[in-house]
Amino acid sequence: MKSFGYVAARDSRHAIALLAEHGATAKILAGGTDLLVELKDTQRPPGVVVDISRAQDLKGISLTEVGLRIGALATHGEIMRSAVIRDLCPALVEAAHSIGAVQTRNLGTIGGNLMTCVPSMDSGPALIALEAQVTVAGPDGQRRMPLSDLFVGPRRTSLVGGELLVEIVIPKPNLGKPAAFQKFGLRKGQALALVNVAASLWLDRDRTAFVAPRIALGAVAPTVIRAPRAEAFLDGRAVTPEAMDEAGRIAATEAKPISDFRASADYRRDLIAVLVKRTLATAYERATATSKERVS
Amino acid sequence: MTDVTITVNGSVRSASVPPETTLLKLLRDYFQLTGTKLGCDVGDCGACTVIVDGMAVNACLMLAAQADGRQVLTIEGLATKDRLHPLQKVFEESGALQCGFCGPGMLLSAKALLDDNPDPSSHDIRDALAGNLCRCTGYSKVVEAVQDAARIMRKPQTEEARQLEMHGQRHGR
Repeated sequence: MKSFGYVAARDSRHAIALLAEHGATAKILAGGTDLLVELKDTQRPPGVVVDISRAQDLKGISLTEVGLRIGALATHGEIMRSAVIRDLCPALVEAAHSIGAVQTRNLGTIGGNLMTCVPSMDSGPALIALEAQVTVAGPDGQRRMPLSDLFVGPRRTSLVGGELLVEIVIPKPNLGKPAAFQKFGLRKGQALALVNVAASLWLDRDRTAFVAPRIALGAVAPTVIRAPRAEAFLDGRAVTPEAMDEAGRIAATEAKPISDFRASADYRRDLIAVLVKRTLATAYERATATSKERVS
Repeated sequence: MTDVTITVNGSVRSASVPPETTLLKLLRDYFQLTGTKLGCDVGDCGACTVIVDGMAVNACLMLAAQADGRQVLTIEGLATKDRLHPLQKVFEESGALQCGFCGPGMLLSAKALLDDNPDPSSHDIRDALAGNLCRCTGYSKVVEAVQDAARIMRKPQTEEARQLEMHGQRHGR
């Protein structure tokens, strides 16, 4: 690795001060699973690496008055082991489990995964399907926005210089919303997604129709995207295998996949249709399983 | 330079290193603990797996500075003076390793798994070892060896010793 300066931030305030001090020459280090690979490869290293991995206030997973708070530094491993996430947001556990392998999941953070802003990120779809919000801190204080507003393009977020991703929040009304995540890669372990999909849904009072379905697609557009036409098609419609099939076909027309050495655009469109159907079916199973528990 | 102090295999060790030094380089080049292997150096192969504060991680993807103040277990700390760890003994006797390059990482990933889950299914084992590439064995013997070691480690201490003995005889040692 080419040499660079290094400074460890005590907490998020200290990190923001350090980012302000070092400006554009600074690079943030969280879990390091992407940054270190990048630093080993580059001929132009950053002036200083601001290590936030010890900032306690960016860690932890907890229920708050606004919803489920996931600190930006929560690792994929911590998300998989979190009892509250397993209970309320199993789709996030599925997404975390699909990332890398044990060793990288113990280092890599959810905030780091989102901030890479690669289209194939596995943390994005399930969070988007649950309409997650993010908190961003900078020299002028904090702001909250929908996660979807963080994504601008491949490797481009809406954060401006000196800002830091602090936390991800699943809003309280969506806690326990039945949802599922599925990824299709070339192997089960250590593979990037050819396509990844998450779906969430409520059922109406009779438990026969979709209410507020949300479908998120990864690796098939410049950023993780929603499939609003497929969602609108399902909203209020009776739950049938045919409806889920059709939603998959519609979602496939809403993506803009590319062909590359991993898969062709046509193959990716086929995968979207299949994965949308499957995630809807799993989310529906979860919705009915929950209702049984509530009755008994 | 950055001052780093870590507890490796129970001993407190310090070094002053350039900031770009990885934990892997610290262990191998500064502490001469060369059992931890340098393979791909980008977190894919798992040859550099060590256990930091109880968690299996890729030592190539951590800066030494990030390990400051933490507990690190490397392959050199797995056996005691008197005897091999049951995982090491079973791996050795059953030929779960061939060239052995992936061994230190495999064993530490397996140890982290068994510390957390003493009775893993073969699926659990494959999941836990997905980040450890082996180009010799085809993995079947590795998975069986972890299962055998888990079975032996679940027995009380005296029984564990007896089972290890029997395992050795079965494999002609």
